[in-house]
Amino acid sequence: MLSRVGERVYWMARYLERVENTARLINVHTALLMDLPKQKEINWFTLIKIFNCEKEYHQQYERIDEKNIMHFLVADMKNPSSLVQALFYARENVRTSLDVLPEEVWEQINELNLMVKASLSAIGNRRRRQNMLLSIMERCLCISGIINNHMSRNHAYDFIQIGKQIERADMTSRTLEMTSLLVSNTHSEQMRKHKGILWGSLLKAISAQQMYLHEKRTSIEPDKVLDFLITDKALPRSLSFSLASIGSYLKLLPEPEDPLTIQQQILENLNAYRSSNIPPDQTHFFMDSFQMRLMELHQKISARWFHPDYEMI
Amino acid sequence: MRQAWNDYNPGKFYDELMYTQHQPHPFSYKLMNYLQSMKKDIFAKRIRASDLEMRERGITFTVYSDAGNIDRAWPFDIIPRLIPKSEWDRTEMGLKQRMNALNQFIQDIYNDAQIIKDGIIPEEIVLQSKGYRTVCKGITPPHGVWANICGSDLVRDDKGIMYVLEDNLRVPSGVSYMLENRKTTKRVLPEIFKLHNISPVSDYPAHLASMLTSLRPDISDPTIVLLSPGIHNSAYFEHAFLAQQAGLILLEGADLIVGKDDFVYMKTIHGLKRVDVIYRRIDDDFIDPEVFRADSMLGAPGIMRSWKAGKVAIANAPGCGVADDKVLYAYVPDMIRYYLNEEPLLPNVPTMLCRNEEDLAYVLEHLAELVIKPANESGGYGMLVGPHASTEQIEAFREVLLANPTNYVAQPTLKLSVTPTCCEEEGIAPRHVDLRPFILSGKETYVTPGGLTRVALVKGSLVVNSSQGGGSKDTWIVDELINQGES
Repeated sequence: MLSRVGERVYWMARYLERVENTARLINVHTALLMDLPKQKEINWFTLIKIFNCEKEYHQQYERIDEKNIMHFLVADMKNPSSLVQALFYARENVRTSLDVLPEEVWEQINELNLMVKASLSAIGNRRRRQNMLLSIMERCLCISGIINNHMSRNHAYDFIQIGKQIERADMTSRTLEMTSLLVSNTHSEQMRKHKGILWGSLLKAISAQQMYLHEKRTSIEPDKVLDFLITDKALPRSLSFSLASIGSYLKLLPEPEDPLTIQQQILENLNAYRSSNIPPDQTHFFMDSFQMRLMELHQKISARWFHPDYEMI
Repeated sequence: MRQAWNDYNPGKFYDELMYTQHQPHPFSYKLMNYLQSMKKDIFAKRIRASDLEMRERGITFTVYSDAGNIDRAWPFDIIPRLIPKSEWDRTEMGLKQRMNALNQFIQDIYNDAQIIKDGIIPEEIVLQSKGYRTVCKGITPPHGVWANICGSDLVRDDKGIMYVLEDNLRVPSGVSYMLENRKTTKRVLPEIFKLHNISPVSDYPAHLASMLTSLRPDISDPTIVLLSPGIHNSAYFEHAFLAQQAGLILLEGADLIVGKDDFVYMKTIHGLKRVDVIYRRIDDDFIDPEVFRADSMLGAPGIMRSWKAGKVAIANAPGCGVADDKVLYAYVPDMIRYYLNEEPLLPNVPTMLCRNEEDLAYVLEHLAELVIKPANESGGYGMLVGPHASTEQIEAFREVLLANPTNYVAQPTLKLSVTPTCCEEEGIAPRHVDLRPFILSGKETYVTPGGLTRVALVKGSLVVNSSQGGGSKDTWIVDELINQGES
């Protein structure tokens, strides 16, 4: 397959995963805020911090409120990490890879795009916003379903899975990092009282609450949640699962040694993680370095397959 | 309430669906009965459904404007245009005959130039054709075929006679819209397909793939790519669509590299991989900066070298645009007689050559009635439509024409046929149409049953180009001889 096509489907998968995760995160956060007392430590701005775009936000908006933050994260084409921006890039990458993707992917992403455009005006209204974000998640899952069920297991498929899992791991780790930060910064008695809700919300943001409860048969404990989301071998959204999955697809590609070495180091590092060794409120350091390594992995993939030095014939 | 068909009046024009103002043709009465019995609100619903279809399936074309490029939904009219199969069979034969002669002509002028030596066509006319490429001399592409994909424009006059208006031999576009239009009709008006036997068009991509494969008889499983100028080209949707449907590898010039061994390679995740056939959707001028325009970023340096050495096949062959010229067009009937020893089955629009003194004298006297076209322009640029021009425009054009008469041809202003079309203000009204069938020539020749019908949506307008307010229709070749069963 063409290097450029590999790169495009890889990014398509990353952007689609980003769209889905963003939608879920916003809905979960909205639900969380409804449970918490109105106070300063956890608020709408927490979302901006998770996406690491405080600077961009302040350049555009003076007031920090739900309306501005929702507009910035969902509808703002000037914000490079907004949902519409990710959707735009996902669609552009599909548009330029039509020859390798099932044609229904193109139809679905167009319908998603039209639906989002038509309902953007609703984002100020919480109820309608939640419905819109739910529909977005459904469409994203539908596209994943088409890819899983209709696409040959070829290299385009491999790159799609790698892109999706890298993005997912990145997003999961950002959400973990934020929760860990919130816990470490929280000193108020009131906040500690809501610890359960906070960690439960984290599980929901990663679609893992039910699996956690079923697996652990226990109440939501910070250290168990962390172990589960970082090292569980069976949960498809745990960091360890994502990394193992990336490894299995890398192995299918031609001469994957360079990227594979990094992937294995990251995976070993994850599997060695124990919340008993790193207290929950210190986990954000671990996550920081994890994100750096993930970036490195992306660069190795890009250098190996997307922009290699071709040996001239 | 029913559709307001009673007011429909094609006037003095030939109508594709109506025989008289209220009487359909024998081949279209079932469709007309169906449409006329449809309730107005149901009909309007189907129109909205077709618009939504096009947008959801992302069928767009790009309009260039000062404010940037806009992706517009493809304009589609849901009332199909019908042609009886008996008529189409003759048209198809005429198109095959024409392509055969055109390909023999191109092969001839780049080799022995026998047609010039025999005095049928003056040499200077060939040499001044904008598509003539000296570098192609002495080459014989696979099967001696140069124009592998052609989109000919057909029009009808007020008598209903079908003429060839021009042959697009360079990089004709529109076939994906023909396919999408059919798909949309199937989804929006599925009941109609019970009433008529309609020739299917959906196998075009398969024919395209096998034609391209036939260009490398020496290789059992050639690697075929579609070379696109990229996402900013107005036909990009079509490039991606065809690649997807025909199983071609969609790529751009930057993905290609010509090796020291003169083979063309593409950059893949496995390293460089050899390319055997290139279906190029970029003009000659941009295909190889080593040979043509040095500033081109769209092609790949060395492609021409590889093609001349027979190490890659290119469709359409470089230099085939020589026959896509308004002056040479006038000679196509002579080419048919000369190479095939046959009479043309499809007429040319009568064309006067301003290089001939008699013709020029006539043209100068009748500027206000004629259409005068420059030889090498396309898309309607630099031409005069006499009946639609002001006295000042005509006089200004007279100067231009006299300065370089060799470069111009003149044709009578055709009263193009019309067909019922849904219009925003008037409801269903007659609008002018043309037809672009697509002809594939490799080892064998294939003609699409029907083609892309383009319609001028503006009242009285003859301009069918989608960039200038044109729309499109599904085109049906209907076989009335087969007994109808439920299908």
